[in-house]
This record gives sequence, C-alpha cells and structure tokens, in this order.
Amino acid sequence: MPGSSFLRPLVGLVLMGMLAVLVAVSVGSSHVGFSKVLWVFAGGGSELDRTLILDLRLPRVLSAFVVGGLLAVAGALMQVLLRNPLADPYVLGLSGGAAVGALLAMLAGTAGFIVSGSAFAGAMLATLLVFGLAHGSGSWTPSRLLLTGVVVAAGWGALITLILSMTPAARLPGMLYWLMGDLSHSGQPWPGMLVLVLVCLLVLPLGRSLNVLARGSMQAAALGVSVRPLEWLIYLLASVLTATAVTMAGAVGFVGLVVPHMLRLVLGNDQRLILPACALAGGILLVLADTLARNVIAPEQLPVGVITALLGVPTFLYLLYRSR
Amino acid sequence: MTTRRLTVFILLLLVPVTVLGETLCASDALDRNVCLPGPATRIVSLSPGATELLFSAGAGDLVVAVSAWSDYPPQAEQLPRVGDSSRLDLEAILALAPDLVVAWVDGNSRQQLDRLAQLGVTVFWLAPREFEHIPQAIEDLSVLTGTPATGVAQAELFRNDLIELEENYAEASLIRVFYQVWDQPLMTINRDELIGKAIELCGGVNVFGHLPRLVPRISTEAVLEAAPEVIVTSGRQESDRQWLEDWTAFASLPAVAAGNLYLEPPDLLARPTLRMLDGVKHLCQTLETARARL
Repeated sequence: MPGSSFLRPLVGLVLMGMLAVLVAVSVGSSHVGFSKVLWVFAGGGSELDRTLILDLRLPRVLSAFVVGGLLAVAGALMQVLLRNPLADPYVLGLSGGAAVGALLAMLAGTAGFIVSGSAFAGAMLATLLVFGLAHGSGSWTPSRLLLTGVVVAAGWGALITLILSMTPAARLPGMLYWLMGDLSHSGQPWPGMLVLVLVCLLVLPLGRSLNVLARGSMQAAALGVSVRPLEWLIYLLASVLTATAVTMAGAVGFVGLVVPHMLRLVLGNDQRLILPACALAGGILLVLADTLARNVIAPEQLPVGVITALLGVPTFLYLLYRSR
Repeated sequence: MTTRRLTVFILLLLVPVTVLGETLCASDALDRNVCLPGPATRIVSLSPGATELLFSAGAGDLVVAVSAWSDYPPQAEQLPRVGDSSRLDLEAILALAPDLVVAWVDGNSRQQLDRLAQLGVTVFWLAPREFEHIPQAIEDLSVLTGTPATGVAQAELFRNDLIELEENYAEASLIRVFYQVWDQPLMTINRDELIGKAIELCGGVNVFGHLPRLVPRISTEAVLEAAPEVIVTSGRQESDRQWLEDWTAFASLPAVAAGNLYLEPPDLLARPTLRMLDGVKHLCQTLETARARL
C-alpha cells in the first residue's frame, strides 16, 4: 500500500505551506507584528490592522498559493503529456493567447474584470486553436502537438510585440507587469482554489494511468490504457489550470517548469504523489517569492516573476547537482 | 521684488541681442552648446511637450513635422508625423531636411538621435526637471528660431505667475497628499518629479516624496500605512475616476473619510509646458478644497 509512504511528504508540505502563509501574512511594508496578526485572526485588532491583514494580505497570499499550485500541477501534467522535460504550462502558447487577450483589453483602456476575462478567453482560444490544428488530418502524436503549440506560441509572441510597439508609453508599465507576472491585482483566491481542488480530485484516480503514460504511449496502450482520450483529458485539464492561473496573476514564469522537476528529484516519479505535492510545493514557492517581491525594496514593489526565478534557479541547480 | 524682476527682464533681453548678429547659440539639457548659422527655418519636434514649447516660443510656423500624440495647440494636429517618440522614422525626418530637431531626454532614443546628428542634423535636447526649465527652454528655442522677443515675454509671464503662486501658497497649512499616476501597477511620483514639485508648491506633503525612484511602484498597503489626507490623480480620461472609487473600500483612510478624492484635468500636469501652470493652479485649488474638508 503506497498510501502511508505518500503521507509523510504530503503532511510535511501541508505544514510548510501553513507556515509559509503565516509568515507571508505577517510581513509587509507596514509593520504589523506577528502577535498582532494572531490577534486579528482571533477577531481583535484595530480597523487598519484588520483591513491590512484580512482585506489586503490574506487574499493576496492565498492567491499566490493557488496560482503557484495551479501552475506546478499544470506543468507536471504537460511534462507527462508531451514526454518532454522542457515542457511547461506555457509551452503550447496558452500564456501567449491569454497575454494577447489581456493586452488588447488594456490597450482599449479597460481594467480589472474585463482584462482578466479577456485573458481567460485568449487562453481558451489558444487551447482550441492548438487542439484543432494538431488534430489535422494525419495521425496525432505528442511531438505534433508540441510543434503545433510552439509555432502557435511564436505567433502569439509576435502579436504581443506588435501590441507593445503600438501602445502609448503611459500604458506600457501595466502591460509589462502583466507579462512578467504580478499578484497585486489577483482578486479573490476562491474561484482559483475551487479549480485547483476539483482538477486535483479528478486527476488523482488517474495517477496509475499517468505513470504508465509517462513511459510511452505504446506501453500504455499495451497495458490497457486508452491513450488518446487520456491525453486529450490531460491537455484540457492542464489548459484549464493554466488559464485560471494566468487570469489571476498574468504570466508568472518558472514555477510550472521547475517545481515538478524539483519534486521528482526528491520524491521520485510517481504521479500519484507528484501531482498533489506539486499543488502544495508550487503554492509554497510562489507565496515565498511574492512575500519577497512585496518586501525587498518596500514600500516599492517588484514583479513576482523576477523572484520565482531568482529563488528557483539555485534551488533547482543544487538539487540537480546532489542527485545521482 | 520689482527691481529684481526688472533686472532679470533686462538681462534676458540682452542675451539674444548679443547673438543675433552672427551664429545663434543656446546650451541644451546635455550641457552642449548648440549653434546654428542663422535662425532655424525647418524644425522637427520629437515630443508633444517640445511641440507645445516651440509654439509658445513663437516658432509654430517653422515646425514642419511632429511626433505622435502632439495634439496641442490644435494647429499641431495638422502637421505630418515622424513616428512615436521612442520609435522615430529617421528617413522621414531626413527627407524633411530640418535645420533643427528638438528632442526630449526621457522619451527619445539617444542612439537614434546620435545617428541623426552624425548625418549633420542639429539636435537640441530638452529635459525639464524643474519649473524654471520650462521658461528656460522657451527662451533657448526662441533664440535658435530668431524669435527671442516672443520667447522672453512668454517666459517672463510664466515666471511671474509662478512667483505669484508660490507666494499665495507659501503659508498654506501642510496636507498629506498621495498622487496616483497609474492603477495597475499602482504608481506614484517622488519629490524630484515636476508634479511632486507642484504638490510641494501648493503646500502639500507628498507621502512618497522620499522614495529614490522618480516614478515608484508601490503597494496598496503602503498607501494605507502612509494615511494620506487627500488622493489626487490625473488619469488620461474620465473613466479613470474608477481609480478613486476603488479607495472608498478603505474607510480608515483619512482621504476617504474626508471625501478628498480628486481627478485633476488630464494633460495639464503631465506635460512640462506653459499650460502646466494652469495644472498647478488647479491642483492648488483642489488642495485648498481638501483642507477645508479636513
């Protein structure tokens, strides 16, 4: 029974996650001490402290956790689907489609809900486009899907550059921050959390099939896995996860690529453990990164994408160096 | 006071007179002495602000092309465009055979303009960082375009109005101001920015004046902590009023409690030109209204 051996790392990650959230909520550009935070959670504290912690920090920290989790799970699924270690949630052009949607909305002078709505629509359009094109008339293979996605992503990239070059200078910072990934306007974390939990519940029973699929579609087919429907399901789920994340925080890079690899180096390559572990570890990484982004040069702010890479690169290289 | 103003006036009149005979020279924002063999006759302006300053200097008729977004004065809208400030069409500029190009340090590409200079075009750089740089630029441009009288008169008007404003608000009680430049990301200005200086002139204390960057990006939390008594923005359009509405969610902010959320007219404060003074006047009146509500 693998359950017990899975339990320890997952419980460890849950505890680390709770600690990360608590730390993140306790530090910010205004100095609300740790004891005050506990006091606020207990229902006390001044009006300002309550606003700071409950209305500003907590939703943002939870959003960071959710976005990190969404991206890491999406990355893990993409790596299984494409049998390619370089795959990340954005490799098939999903973030490009979302970016074009969001930037067009910003260029039109809109903000808030319309921008995130356009981002989600763009992501879904990108998904359908790649789905339709990769289907084609011939047979379907992961490499065909990958190539289609990469080329479509390049097309989105060109559109993004075109939009940026036609935008008046005053609107550029907002667009660049969106492209770098930014959690300052992520809104409420609950819809994203719902998506994350639902997809994880949906994927977990598939863990065994995913393990087989990761070894190759021929083997999986020989072992009785219906490969084609499974692959499309993974693609659809990964797309929904990524679209949700991108809608909440823009194109935060790096988490989706590196977190699954880190966990594989530490925990081995069993999808039944890796996928829930990704949801937790991705969340922890992004919560810590966002905490730094908020505080390194406070009250000024950095985009979180910068920090995820600065934190993730050395950690990953260290794990890689240590591994046999 | 009057004698000082008179002396300044006479001195300024003398400056252009001494150079009218032969070559015309003025020192630009890069501290280079820019000289022309005679008054410029074909001018290309590379920023909306420079276009306005050229018209103020009395050289509007000599401007043959402008950069994108040059929409003031209305005559400027009819002129041919040579690309966006940061991406200029060098070929189009050269084809117009200008004898003077007016560039803007914060907006134009140094590389592109250096290329123009290599090809023999005279480039005059502007970088308004203080109020005094505005009348100075008008005077310099009027010297190079052979309309010094207009330039000096306009500059003098600006300086006098500025002094009057400074005197009017020198005794004003201090009020804590948060100036919002943009919404997503949330951005403000520090004390070195011209708008920051306008806030100080009106007796405001910029709550983020001390930050090192000219246009810092800050967190909502930092604004709550700074507890401004008035929040001002000059969004690009009326719909940016939403930026102010968003603050009403934080009832503990003194500015929200006092109802001190103001949208200043766009363009006036944003461009370092003669019109900026109208923007400053408007801002000062806004802060007066805000003081009364505290």
